[in-house]
Amino acid sequence: MWDFIVSKYNYWIYIILMMIGFYGMMAKNNFMKKVIGMNIFQTALILYFISTAAKRNATLPIVEYHHGHGPGIVHAVDFINPLPHVLMLTAIVVGVSTLGVALAIVILIYKRYHTLEEDEILGSKGK
Amino acid sequence: MKGISLIIVMIVGSMLIYGTLEMPKWGDPNAPAAIHVSPRYIEKTWEETETPNAVTSVVADYRGYDTLGETTVIFTAGISCILLLRKKREKAGGE
Repeated sequence: MWDFIVSKYNYWIYIILMMIGFYGMMAKNNFMKKVIGMNIFQTALILYFISTAAKRNATLPIVEYHHGHGPGIVHAVDFINPLPHVLMLTAIVVGVSTLGVALAIVILIYKRYHTLEEDEILGSKGK
Repeated sequence: MKGISLIIVMIVGSMLIYGTLEMPKWGDPNAPAAIHVSPRYIEKTWEETETPNAVTSVVADYRGYDTLGETTVIFTAGISCILLLRKKREKAGGE
């Protein structure tokens, strides 16, 4: 039972973090808090994928070499999986882009309605 | 609204936790992600790209076009931020 918890608790932590972000996106009334929830959601997803790269008794995927000759035989068991790192680099780029555009839209909403509360904006007819 | 959101979050979270019960253990060297395609990148990174860092070789060499596409994503985001936040001229149509 204890082994089971130890071998799965990282996934559960990321699911809890992701659900915090999801709840923030749905339930919060302020647009800025919704954007923060979206960012927490993306970060939880990135952490989950990074955790799937881990291998026990392995090190970072940088092979040791000396100038003039290569590293010789490389055993894949000694290095953690590089592919999740690469793909999450792409996900970070997409996350930063969506965050930037979302913040720009939030600024525009504030300029037009002078508030960021969702119910006040829905109640007013705009200017 | 808060109650409905809490119920939805509980349902989705418990479904995701149910999904993790079949996942490989954390740090398992025999996990499917660790044995299928990634050993090839780690073992051939020096031979094929002369780069000791496997992450760098995959980003900049094997998946170079993907990285080029990423710059397009950043460029599009920057252009849309500029278009959204630029100062409008007085006679440009107003609101």
